[in-house]
Amino acid sequence: MPQILLDGLTLGFVYAIVALGYTMVYGVLKLINFAHSEVFMVGAFAGTEVLLFLHAMGYLATLPPAVALICAMLIAMILSGTLGVFIERIAYRPLRQAPRLVPLISAIGVSFFLQDAVRLIEGLWKNAFYLTAPTLFTNKITITPTLSLPVKSLVVIMAAVTMMVFLHLFVSRSKWGKAMRAVSQDQATASLMSINVNRVISLTFLIGAGLGGAAGTLFAAQYSLIHPYVGFLLGIKAFTAAVLGGIGNIPGAMLGGILLGLLESFGAAFLGVATNGAMGAEYKDVFAFAILIAVLIFKPSGLLGEPEREKI
Amino acid sequence: MRKVVIPTQLTESKIPFFLACTLVITAGPVFVVFPQSPAAFFTFLVSLLVLYKMSIPVPLKLVGAVISLGIIMPSVGSENGYYMDVIIQVGIYVALAVGLNIVVGFAGLLDLGYVAFYAAGAYAYAIFATSQASNFIPAAWATFPVSGNWFWLFLLVGLVVGAITGVLLGFPVLRLRGDYLAIVTLGFGEIIRIVLNNLDKPINITNGPKGLTPIQPPALFGMDLSEPIHYYFIVLSIIILIIVVAKRLNASRIGRAWAAIREDELAARSMGINLLKMKLLAFASGASFAGVMGVVFAAKQTFIDPSSFSFMESIGILAMVILGGMGSVAGAVIGAVAVLVLQLQILKELSEYLGQLSAAGVLSIPSQLDPAKYERMIFGLILIAMCIFRPQGIIPAKRQLVRLRERVRDWRAKREGGEDVDPA
Amino acid sequence: MTLLKATKVTKRFGGLIAVQEVDFEIEAGQIVSMIGPNGAGKTTFFNLLSGYYTPDEGSIVFDGRDVTKALPEKSAACGIARTFQNIRLFPGLMVAENILVGMHLHLRSGFTGIIFNTRHVRQEEERALDEALDILEYVGLGGKETELARNLPYGDQRRLEIARALALKPKLLLLDEPTAGMNPKESDDMKKLILRLRDERQITILLIEHDMKVVMGLSDRITVINYGVKLAEGTPDEIRSNVDVIKAYLGEEAV
Repeated sequence: MPQILLDGLTLGFVYAIVALGYTMVYGVLKLINFAHSEVFMVGAFAGTEVLLFLHAMGYLATLPPAVALICAMLIAMILSGTLGVFIERIAYRPLRQAPRLVPLISAIGVSFFLQDAVRLIEGLWKNAFYLTAPTLFTNKITITPTLSLPVKSLVVIMAAVTMMVFLHLFVSRSKWGKAMRAVSQDQATASLMSINVNRVISLTFLIGAGLGGAAGTLFAAQYSLIHPYVGFLLGIKAFTAAVLGGIGNIPGAMLGGILLGLLESFGAAFLGVATNGAMGAEYKDVFAFAILIAVLIFKPSGLLGEPEREKI
Repeated sequence: MRKVVIPTQLTESKIPFFLACTLVITAGPVFVVFPQSPAAFFTFLVSLLVLYKMSIPVPLKLVGAVISLGIIMPSVGSENGYYMDVIIQVGIYVALAVGLNIVVGFAGLLDLGYVAFYAAGAYAYAIFATSQASNFIPAAWATFPVSGNWFWLFLLVGLVVGAITGVLLGFPVLRLRGDYLAIVTLGFGEIIRIVLNNLDKPINITNGPKGLTPIQPPALFGMDLSEPIHYYFIVLSIIILIIVVAKRLNASRIGRAWAAIREDELAARSMGINLLKMKLLAFASGASFAGVMGVVFAAKQTFIDPSSFSFMESIGILAMVILGGMGSVAGAVIGAVAVLVLQLQILKELSEYLGQLSAAGVLSIPSQLDPAKYERMIFGLILIAMCIFRPQGIIPAKRQLVRLRERVRDWRAKREGGEDVDPA
Repeated sequence: MTLLKATKVTKRFGGLIAVQEVDFEIEAGQIVSMIGPNGAGKTTFFNLLSGYYTPDEGSIVFDGRDVTKALPEKSAACGIARTFQNIRLFPGLMVAENILVGMHLHLRSGFTGIIFNTRHVRQEEERALDEALDILEYVGLGGKETELARNLPYGDQRRLEIARALALKPKLLLLDEPTAGMNPKESDDMKKLILRLRDERQITILLIEHDMKVVMGLSDRITVINYGVKLAEGTPDEIRSNVDVIKAYLGEEAV
């Protein structure tokens, strides 16, 4: 049982950080950034490549694992963040005046493009597009003879909490955070207050995508095996988390992510028992989709979000 | 003034018109003479497009279409089975694209799980046209597989199953705003695929990831219709039906209600349009086309498994609709042809060409670079490029502009005539 | 005959009371104006009448039917048509098609009929188009039938929105600031059109308007709303001399 709880929490924190990216972009642009899952995936690859590089150079054995991880995360964040800004410039900005579905379609296009682009690059470079990240933290903290906590899960949780705290401080305290909130309220008015809307949007993408990249690295460190299509399902689930918490709402995304991780973990463990073996753990993905659909139908504003009202 | 203007327009368009005529007339025979040539195949396809765009009377166009699709294509197909296969696949996707276009293009509902309805139709036939159904229906009631004569009935079953699935999925979700609807339909599409993958227990209904085979081919009065040419004509007839239905719906009060919903839901409501009912109608119509095509697909492939119904398929069909032009039936057809020819022909040729170069030692190209493996990249590029540079698509929807103009002119003439009689 | 009767209608948004216990009646065949400062709750009241909002308290009876809880599509079917403060046309459709959409409720073609393109369906379409063209001619948009709605100049867009509402064959027409943003000439034309709607088509009209020249020149009766509460009602002359109204509009010292 505690094992299921810990697994759920670890997964939940990964969902939560990715969900932040969806929620921040939705907040300022009212756009479901479908390509965010691929930004996460790129982050996973970047982080893994850094770790593999350190491993090949022989540093991984000598460096403290925390330093190696931070190194990988930083590079992944820079790469993913830049990618996020580029995506916005190329595929979303020209469509800001278009009907709402057009940028969404463009975002799906970006997502598909990136999957194969990474496959192509890794294929040319490594001749394989499935990568296995080296294991960083192997030890476990033994609490009772039957219960031990793997350190790598704790690291994921700690890293996630740290990032969330920083993000929260940034959005609520800094000048740029205030500008971001202003833009999400009303772009036109924000620009009248001499806020550079384009720059705020770019910044939002930079931060959201950067967090996605960091989450990717953490994911690779935790679960090892990655491939170019790893972002798709995780992205949908992170989006579910964002919706569950109330899209556009930053604490909501964190709450939603953790809840979803726990629900999924317990669901997978008990689905078989509950349905007398008719439905096994294979249905755990269905579970996440079902939550998404149920939330959207019954409480589209999520747990912490404000209902949207159209002006007539 | 008018008399001066019209002739210049004619002379301007004369040369392309002759070129078009020459192309349309020669492309078919050339293709018959060179059935193996990709160039002849492309020219033939282009000539069909030109025929469609030419400003000649509709009956003439129909004659051209009947000759091209009814005589030339089948006769070439009997020479070159590969092109026959390509054209049948193209046909299946044309029908799917026209169907999705009803949902996305006409009604403006972004459905990212369209392939679920296709799967529903395919499994509806496959389960009963293999011995699979014996797993849950006692042999005393019926024996399986059913004979191929049932195929025709199953076309209807596919239609109904598609429509019912559409209504069942649509009913809870069609109240949602556009972008949420997109994600939810994506979720439903994936749920259907996962369920198909796992419904081999507790009762084996779908045979899980192993798939279903051998599926009975269609039969007519006991005669098996399993040759490509048979599928060709089956697919062609269904496409014609679907296109006619789609065009009629679009031009009707239902089509206008869809357009109104697409343009402004709130204003549409104030016109007395029942949003949920109209959206369900769009969903069910699109889904029923996919259901029918699913039955044909299952019969033609003789083997299906859940991997044929992935999210990528839905996006591929969406790319066809966006490329051709949302809301345009002709656009959906052309989009489907263009994407499939690109996938099945151009990329394949390119792969083979690169492969030959590597084999000859001219260039060393790693197998990872095989262009045929990068469908997602191509779909992605199509979607991005069309959104940014030409959101209305190759053939924009034109909303019966010409027809309406003519009618307005008639009406005015009638009115003015009436006013001449009555001096008041 | 009383066409519409709203009794003690209240609408709250959170803590804000947008419309409070408003009693309102409109006689068939009249033009009634609703005036009041911005944010007084006029548009909210329109939204209540046309089904976009449901009142928290009170009742609305229209033409002998209880429409308190009717949704917009239902109230349209009952004979209430409206225009919007910020014009809401179907911008990507042609002018004539906008009208045809408005005739949706009066066309009977069913799904199967359309698929088989029966004679009945074809005839209905012909008749509908004729009627649509007549309506366009009537409001002065003849000759623009095949333009896209979004390409019309502003004044014509307002006209088209009214024409589209006419296609519903309404008994009551709600016009939300029909002359907003118009120059005096356009505004005058609009005034004439509204009068013709009442006199030639026997449509009862309720309008929200800020231009007092239009209001006084058109209205049979005027209702004044302020802070969600009905302040006064009466003929234009009565309203002109009403002390409360002057206070609300010009301040205490103006009295």
